[in-house]
Amino acid sequence: MASRDFRDFLGQLEREGQLVRLSDEIMPEPDVRAVARAAVDMVDTGPAVVMDNMKGYKGKKLAVNVHGSWANYAVMMGMPKTTGVKEMFYELARRWESAPGEIKRVKNPACQENVITKNINLYEILPLFRVNPYDGGFYLSKASVITRDPEEPGNFDKTNVGLYRMQVHGPDTIGLNIQPVHDIGTHLRKAEELNHPLPIAICLGVHPMLSVMACTPLAYGKSEFKFAAALDGRPQEIAKALTSDLDVPAGAEFVLEGEVVPRQRSAEGPFGEMPGCYSALRSQYRIQVKAVTHRNDPIMENLYVGMPWTEHDTLVGLSTCVPLYQQLRETMPEVKAVNALYKHGLTVIVAADNKFGHYAKTVAMRVASTPHGGTYAKVIIVVDGSVNPFDLLQVMWALSTRVRPDKDVLVLHPTPGHPSDPSSDPPGIGGKVIIDATTPAYPDKTGPEYRLIENVPKTEIFHKRIVELQALLNR
Amino acid sequence: MICVRCSNESANVVAQAPDGSEAWEIIYCSKCNFSWRTSEEDQSIASEKRDKMFQLEGSALDNLQVLVPLPPLRIKT
Repeated sequence: MASRDFRDFLGQLEREGQLVRLSDEIMPEPDVRAVARAAVDMVDTGPAVVMDNMKGYKGKKLAVNVHGSWANYAVMMGMPKTTGVKEMFYELARRWESAPGEIKRVKNPACQENVITKNINLYEILPLFRVNPYDGGFYLSKASVITRDPEEPGNFDKTNVGLYRMQVHGPDTIGLNIQPVHDIGTHLRKAEELNHPLPIAICLGVHPMLSVMACTPLAYGKSEFKFAAALDGRPQEIAKALTSDLDVPAGAEFVLEGEVVPRQRSAEGPFGEMPGCYSALRSQYRIQVKAVTHRNDPIMENLYVGMPWTEHDTLVGLSTCVPLYQQLRETMPEVKAVNALYKHGLTVIVAADNKFGHYAKTVAMRVASTPHGGTYAKVIIVVDGSVNPFDLLQVMWALSTRVRPDKDVLVLHPTPGHPSDPSSDPPGIGGKVIIDATTPAYPDKTGPEYRLIENVPKTEIFHKRIVELQALLNR
Repeated sequence: MICVRCSNESANVVAQAPDGSEAWEIIYCSKCNFSWRTSEEDQSIASEKRDKMFQLEGSALDNLQVLVPLPPLRIKT
């Protein structure tokens, strides 16, 4: 069942046995990071954890690992919590077809039950923690950031909701890490060309599907709110911000309203990033916070990111796969599934029928030329359409038995790369490696004739029987 | 107060534990934007224990990586 907002979703998780409340007294550092690490290490079944007794922040609530397991993701999807990843992929792709969904405007939203405009001190309002020991400060790592196109402020579909790392600087200033490829990068470029401050809303504790869409590579001009509504099956509730004309999620736990200061940069970082290493201290944008609004008894949400696998991977994984799948399928119906779960799609595995000799290479080059694949998609593997790309045992079989080193490995260099990838040198420049692990097709030479060993009939029947017998042993 | 990362005399206390417990203070450096909690591990907040790779020396702050350069201002016509 679709949830109304973040708080409603936490209730759903709790009823499904996927949320625990930790009231033991803990230190903000290093304990919160250890709690989050422990929860996310339970990749398939780890619960969300809500803490309310951090020393110095006693009584303030902090939620971590909300999207941190496939079970939690399935609950968000309204599916049984044991649903497999491939099944969720196809269900997400199916719902994608119904986008855009609806938005619903509400007055007197819950996110504005409390308003702070004077003496704003983010260190005291929010239960912050240092995500990794050498981070440059206390980061907001799971905020949905809302901006508008300064040249078309009335175009709702060009409102952007994105997830970017942000470092709390002074009590009411925040550093914002942006790359030109981001949609907000387009908004900022236009604002800076005009020397105008860009209104911004930083939303913490939002609807779980909006968090997913905030880190999904949607095309510019597609509304994250409307896609979240379509994927969730109910309208996204929004309301007007207090200090700007921006639309914010009505049920958000916190909204930090402010402006990006034009034509100024200041030190931001380093930050432990999704590749499992720290990215550099950079000269980046700065936000001046003008107001903080929040619900009664607000629940702050943040995300632990470190050595993979972490919540970042579950949060962005499937919604990175689906747009690539849709974009490939527009001209390549031979594509059966796309697995881009690894580091936001730095590695992409495509299952596709090889309709003629070396067609798999064409599929791979299409991956490399999608909006997301241009900078990500460093390692592109193509397997036969009959191979499940989400089953790495099958993928490794295909790599081991299909790849001809002299014909099936292509290296393209230089190409755009992703700055957070430690092998991108200089940051933003990289290359591609294409590995064709499909069965060769005519007129390619197919090598010696052979037959695959067929699947063993009746396996499922005896699988059930063996499981029953093993359960008896464990009683 | 001296910043534990950039060693400049540009750090100040900006926050106290909001529950009144006096469990910690937050210190912020207006020069390099580093901030820390006084209750954190030495690895993060003791300059002599921090990994040298993350310390800022000399002109490091003037030579930061820039991902997004300032665009040219639009000329009004």
